[in-house]
Parts: sequence; structure tokens; C-alpha cells
Amino acid sequence: MGLEYFVDITWSTAAQVVMLGFIGGILSGFIGSGGAFFMTPGMMNLGVLGPVAVASNITHKFGKAMVGSKRHSELGNVDKKLSIFMLITAAIGIRIAVMLMKYMFEGNEGHNATKSAGADLYISLVFVVVLTIVSISMLRDINKSRKKIDKGPSRKIVEFLNKYKLRPLIYFPVADISVSLWVVLIVGLACGYLAGTIGVGGFIGVPAMIYVFGASASVAAGSELYLAMYMGAFGAINYAFEGLVDIRLTLLLFIGSLFGIYVGVYGTKVVKEVSIRLVTAIIILLCVISRFIAIPVYLQQLGFLDMDPANNDYFNFASKAMLYLSGISGGLLILYYVFKAYLHRRKIQASFSAKYPLTVKEKLAEENP
Amino acid sequence: MQIICISCHSYGYGKELAEKLASELSYDHIAREELADKATAYGIPVGKLETAILKQQLITEELSIEIERFKAFITAEICKRAKKGGVVYHGRMGHMVLQGLSNVLRIRAVANEGERINRVVKRMNLDRKQAKNYIDQVDEDRCRYTKFFYNVNCGDPTLFDISINSSHLSIENSVGALINLTHLKEFQPTPESNLKIEDLLLQAQCRLAIAEDSRTRAAKVDVKAFHGNVSLTYLPAFVKQAELIPQVLKKIENIKSLVCTMAATNILYIQERFNPEADTFNHLVEIAGKWNASVELIRLVHQIKEDKTIPLEEMDLKKISDGEINGGILDDTLEPEEDEKDKYGIPETFNRLIQVGRAGAVNTVYGGIQSLVNIVKSAKGNCLVVVGDVFLASGSASQKRMKRDLISLLSDQSRVPVISSDDLKEQYLFGPKQRIKTIIYALLSVLIFYIVFTYQKMILKFLSASDTEFKILAVIVVLISVPFAAYVISGFWHNILKFVKLE
Repeated sequence: MGLEYFVDITWSTAAQVVMLGFIGGILSGFIGSGGAFFMTPGMMNLGVLGPVAVASNITHKFGKAMVGSKRHSELGNVDKKLSIFMLITAAIGIRIAVMLMKYMFEGNEGHNATKSAGADLYISLVFVVVLTIVSISMLRDINKSRKKIDKGPSRKIVEFLNKYKLRPLIYFPVADISVSLWVVLIVGLACGYLAGTIGVGGFIGVPAMIYVFGASASVAAGSELYLAMYMGAFGAINYAFEGLVDIRLTLLLFIGSLFGIYVGVYGTKVVKEVSIRLVTAIIILLCVISRFIAIPVYLQQLGFLDMDPANNDYFNFASKAMLYLSGISGGLLILYYVFKAYLHRRKIQASFSAKYPLTVKEKLAEENP
Repeated sequence: MQIICISCHSYGYGKELAEKLASELSYDHIAREELADKATAYGIPVGKLETAILKQQLITEELSIEIERFKAFITAEICKRAKKGGVVYHGRMGHMVLQGLSNVLRIRAVANEGERINRVVKRMNLDRKQAKNYIDQVDEDRCRYTKFFYNVNCGDPTLFDISINSSHLSIENSVGALINLTHLKEFQPTPESNLKIEDLLLQAQCRLAIAEDSRTRAAKVDVKAFHGNVSLTYLPAFVKQAELIPQVLKKIENIKSLVCTMAATNILYIQERFNPEADTFNHLVEIAGKWNASVELIRLVHQIKEDKTIPLEEMDLKKISDGEINGGILDDTLEPEEDEKDKYGIPETFNRLIQVGRAGAVNTVYGGIQSLVNIVKSAKGNCLVVVGDVFLASGSASQKRMKRDLISLLSDQSRVPVISSDDLKEQYLFGPKQRIKTIIYALLSVLIFYIVFTYQKMILKFLSASDTEFKILAVIVVLISVPFAAYVISGFWHNILKFVKLE
């Protein structure tokens, strides 16, 4: 690796990276995982090479998850046993992802953009396929739950696996669930691979813990964060060894994300669960569209698509616009919910103190005039 | 108003024991199955709830509301029957719905496995192996149910006053022994316990009324009653439904006052005597405001005359045997102070909480530390437990020690942080220490960024070096510097948000 793989960071670039971190932080705090799905392509749109964007983001995730899991641990939301079991194969998944990435990156010749095009295309394709499945499944689930009384996530997979009880079954005390070792290992592998490829392990880890293992949402979020800390560390070690980590980007992301995360977490306290899932699904879908728009550029750079290179700028612009639209609109929507809830709270509190309560003091005075 | 609750192994002899005991005492007898049928007829999907719990299905918001309804239904039925004279309830840890009621006699009826297997073989025409498997499965299901429903382990002996083994004692002799036990002072109804039954009934009726009305059915609310004063807290997401609740509760008699508080979470404040003017209380109100939390006042009735160097866990037994304390049962009159002006500052403190919109509930815990631990363990939606001035009757040194032991015991049993009121300001408010910390974090953050961006080329060159030694060194630098930077920046933002009260 050489210095030519790292972008020049101007004040404008730095501000945009901080903003990416802030919106990613809000989304991460609100959704309970992710944020990377916005930050990784966001950095790529700023000209950061795909592998460097993933490496810097996963390193950022390591630090962020360490701080977050400590807090979750204090609240009793972390099932360390579950996280450690998943970690065994997650580490293998990350290693596979890093090796594939390096192969894609070094397999091409030419200047930076062309050299990175193979890896960028690969990252984008995985991103589009995986997150399309995740978001559409979430939307379907929300739609179904609207029609029935129980609005919780689907339990079909958990019930299906419970029927077969693929041994050995491992009991996880904090989550209070028994899951087949094989299922845990497979989910861990998928999490590790995706964390290493697109920096988004949580989008698989959290839903898998809820939909496949049957854990509660809070334990899933806490345990995933604990797992993310180790996966982030492992990813950071791998990418740092390959010389792909841009520590400047990691630090700039920290400024925004560690602030935004507080705002997002506050949002979860005031918004209904079904609304949280709806906002999440929509944001992911918009991000997928953004990445989809960028794919022709990489195809053209690799020579798979006969397109005028001058058009690349339009595609890049459209991709960037769509990404910002999804992130900013998602962030604004969450801020709107937070603000609305805050105002409503003030209003109701004022009305309660006016209408009710017949206070204890008044009551006592009434009883003992 | 005596209440006796019997829990038993599956295919033990709990039912026969309960029926015989009720008949001998001329009390009403209720079996859990009877209540489940009544609740189903009332509209609570008991079968669906049980299936969801036993099959470990995810409990949705709607199902969790139904669980609260069912608990309220059980509470209301037991309390109603208890008011008629006395009741023997036979079911799965029924006493857990009667939290705070100190005179409940809690019995566990056990039987040897062989006898239970014989019963199953006889009743269900199974071979012994099948019968054993069947019993194991039913026991596992029951334990899962109680774990889920009440968050307690079914085998925990501390949840019972006495355990009776049918393999050694006949039903007649067991009943005789239990009747003697019911005459003990600890299990006698008192004016205070009668009031508590009224409160439990009132809060159960309120909960059922809210769930009955289609407009407020979906609201997740926590209802508490204290001497007829009802406190209701609800999550911000249920603001619209909560507005209608006072209207819905109009039909319920005996509500002396109603306080509705919107809160995302709850803080338990344990004291012996409350003072709304105290600095600690003001800090607590400030924290509750920041966190959008309600504050529940818990008065711990704990009278000990001398300093005794006995471990906290042993204290209750010791006190009872010494005759120093009444085992949580007050004299057979209404608590003396209730008739006097001194109400331990509760009305004034609660009134202040109402004024600032942070009123949660009021609770008085008799029966020593274990009762307090049970209440803290069973309470849901708490984010913090604050232990204020307790054990006031003890000397200053032992007061400190006992308070420290209590905090430690509660921390072990509770999933939320438990702290002393003395540490409130330092832990959760922005004081001089936090100011200094914030400045240090800010300076460190600036220093990190200054170094990284001033020497960026050198750093990037080092981090992307191709020599293996440098690569390993780069990994070590990243692994050390990144968590450090995250800790510093996170600490900075955390304190800034504390400062602007936006936590």
C-alpha cells in the first residue's frame, strides 16, 4: 500500500465525514445496529476507495462498540456466552472477507479508480443483494403484523428450528434461549463475512438473534454490540495489517457518531417499535438504491459495460444524492419524532398538572379541613 | 382477611391439601384452573398466553398487556375473596401477585418423585418411564411459566415460608400443622395489611378497567395504589390513550386521588423518612427530569434498636428470634404514625413530585430486607435504584455499614444500577468534577486531532508500511489508539450532554 490510496482531506471533506458519522450515529442509536450502511458508501462517494472506507469504518466500529457494549453490559443486556459462541465463526467470516477483498483489489491493474473498481463492484453487489433481502423482509413483516393483533416480529423460523432441535443445543442464560450450536455458528459466519465485506454485521446479527434465535430486542442489540466489539477489533487487526486503515477518517467518524448515537437512543424511548422498524426498512432500501445506481460506473471501469465515461459523474452524483437523501431524511425523521415527542410530553404534563391531580396535600386538606 | 397460597409439584397433593385446609379454616378455596377459566370467559386469552410462554415465543406488546391483565385478574379475585374472610389459593406462586402484603402464608407442598410417578401411572395409564418424562416436562413448563410470569425461580426456597413433604406427613397432619402456623403473629391480618389488600384490589381493578375500554386497551401503563390514592405512569408512546384514562377510571369507586405521569422509565427511591427540601431529593428530581423518569417512593420500615454486628441476610431471622422486630407485622392497630401528623414526609414529597410531573407511586415495605429485595426484583421498567437514609434507628457507624450492605445486596439482585443517594450528584449531574473531566477530554481530543492531522503523511506512511515488523506495529498502534480516542471523544460528548441536560 502507498499514500496514493488515501484521499486528501480538506475542511469540506472532513465536515462531510463528520456529518456522515453524525447521521450514522443517529441511525445506529435508533435502529440498534448499522449506521455503517450509510457511512461506508458515503465515504466511497467522497472518493475514498472501497476497501479503505470499509477498513476505516470497521475500525471506527471497534471503538464505538467498545464504548456502547460497556453501557449495555451495565444494563444487563449482554449475553456474553452467545456473543462468544458467534465470535468463533465470525472471525473466520471476517478473514474470508478480507482475503476476498484483497484479491479483488490487487487483481486489477491501472490507476486507483480502476484498480479499486473490482472491489467496489463486489462490495456494492453484496450490499445491494443482502440489504434488499433484509429491508423487504422487514417491510413484509411490518405489513403482516399490521393485519394481525400481535405486532411483534415473525416467530416462524424460531418455531421451525424448535421443532427439529438440532443437537447440541446450547443454553444462553441472559437471553434465556436454547439454540442449536450449528445455527449459532452459521449465523456467526454470516455476520463476520458481512462485517468484513460491507462493514454491516449488525444488520444480520440483530435480526438473526431476534428472528432465528428468539432473543429479545434489547438483549439482541446488547449482545450484537459486544460481538461487534470483537469483530471490529478482529477486522481492524486484519485491515491494519494490510495497511488499509485511514485513521483520520476513523477519528472524524467518531466526532459525529458518538454524538449522534445519543440522539438516536433517545428516539427509541419515544417512538413505537413498529415505527422504528418501518423507518429502518425505508432507510436501508434507499441506501440500496443509492448503491445500485453506482454499479454501472464500476461495470464501465472494468470494461463490462459500454458506456461513455463522462456519464460516470452523473451516476456518481445520483448515487451520492440518493444516499444523502436516505440518510438525511432518515435522520430528520428521527429528529422529528424526538422533537414531537418532547413537545407532546411538555403539553401533556402541563395539561395534567392543570386538570388532575387532586394532590395529596389538597386531599388531606379536604379530609381534615 | 387472611391469605394462604400453596404452590406444589405437578401431581403432588397440593390440591387436596388446599381444599382440606380451606375447609378446616372455613375459608374460600380457589384453584388456579378455576381462575384461568374465569379469566378466559372474561376475555383474557389465557391459553394463548401459556402457549406463547411455554413455546418460548416472542411476547409482543399486545401479549405483554394481556399478561398484565391476567395478573390483575388473579390479584382482584384473590383480594375480593380475602375480603370476605379468608382465602386459600392453590396455584403457581400466586403469592407473587400480592407484593408488599406481609401476612401471606406461602406454602410449598412437595412429594417424592416415586409417589408422583405412581399417580401419573394410575391416572393416565402410562408406563413408569413415560410417566417420569411427562412429570419432568410439566415441571419444566411450570418453572418456565413462573420464571416468565414473575421472574423468579420456581425452586427458590426463600420464596416460601414453609415446605411440606407429603411423603412423610399425611394430609390431615399437614393441615393440622399449617393451621397452627396460621395462628402465628406474622400471618395475622392487621389494619395495615387490610389496607394493602384494598390497595392491591384497587390497582387491579384500575388495570382491568383500562384494558376493558377499547380506547385505552393498547396503553402500557403501570398502576399503583397507596391508601386509595392511585398513581399511574405510562410511556410517552401512549400519550393519546393516557389522556382518556382518567375518564375510564371514573367508574371505579374508592379512588381518592389520581395522578397520571408520563415517563419513559422509573427511579426507585428508598428511604425511611422523606424530605422534599433535601438536596438529595432535588438532585433526584433533576435526574428524573433529564431522563423523563417517574420517581417511586419506597419507605422501608426497619426498626432496630441497637447496633448489632450481624450480616444483613441473617438480620431478619435474628430480629424475630430476639423479639426486637415484629417480622414485618405491625401491632394490631393501624400504624401509629398514620393517626398522627407525622407521615414520614411522604405526602409532601409526593406532592412535590406531582408538581414537577415526576410522580411515580408510593410504597411501604414491611417485613425486612427480603421483602424489599423481592419488590426491587419484581419491579419492571426501572432504570435506577437510589438508597437514601435507611436504618435510622441504628448508630451512625452501623447505619453506614448496613446501608452499604443493602446496596451491595440489591445490586446483586437487580439488573439496574443501585447507588447511594450520596453519590447521585457525582454520578449523574454536572458538578465541578465533571467540568474538569470535560475540559480534560476536550484537550485530549484536540491533541489527538492535532497530532494526527499535523503529521498525517508520516502516520499514514507508517500505518501502510509493507514491512512485516511495521505492519505488526501498525496493528498494535491502531488497537491502542482507537479505543482510547473513542473513550475520550465519547466521554467529552457524554459530559456535554449532561451539561445541557439532554441525556
